[in-house]
Amino acid sequence: MGDLVKLYSDYKDHADFLQVYVREAHPTDEWEMKKNLDENVCYPQPKTLEQRVAIANDFIKRFHFPMPFGVDEMNNAANDAYAAWPERIYIVDENGRIAYRGGMGPFHYKPEEARAWLAKRFGPVKTPEKPASAPATAPEPPVSSPAKS
Amino acid sequence: MRIWKWIGIGFGGLILATFIGLCVMAGGVRDAYGMLRYALPHMHRGNLRVGEDAPDARLVALDGVSRFHLRERVGKRPLVLIFGSYT
Repeated sequence: MGDLVKLYSDYKDHADFLQVYVREAHPTDEWEMKKNLDENVCYPQPKTLEQRVAIANDFIKRFHFPMPFGVDEMNNAANDAYAAWPERIYIVDENGRIAYRGGMGPFHYKPEEARAWLAKRFGPVKTPEKPASAPATAPEPPVSSPAKS
Repeated sequence: MRIWKWIGIGFGGLILATFIGLCVMAGGVRDAYGMLRYALPHMHRGNLRVGEDAPDARLVALDGVSRFHLRERVGKRPLVLIFGSYT
């Protein structure tokens, strides 16, 4: 979670991001895990699109999730097309081709691989560990001359 | 036919050891059972390959009403697609 938000804030100036909400991995009526109870994330598997959208909105509210967001329809079209469940990352290049294909979560879900791809393409991003004590924006080089003369 | 008895015991032991291993990995008996019961049928490696066209899908916006296509977001910059759910 935190990894993703950091990835987004580090590279949102270079790449577009889209979070796609797919069917729940550990709903209360299927495979609920102890972790869900500890974190108070208890939802039954959505049966309608309204329920899905409502959970997605809860998620965004709870984590102040900043990324562009889309919800998979009840036919699970996106999930099926990308073998997405329970979690997976892809990078699509400018020509619409798969450039990076992450492994199936949770064991092969590795945001650091996506970061490595972006770092290779755009260079590593150095962000200070304590953003509060650092200046909000890096100093921009001054514009050499106004566009109009 | 004593050998079959031992093969049976060995096989049973192997299944038991696998399940115990799964319990440790998943965090408990209940979670291991859940993994077998609910997760295995949905675990797909997928057959998309790097270099292939990214498939399209119609998605719903957070207002629950408007729709957009995933491919609409492909453009001048690479698109990072992150699939997941809340739980």
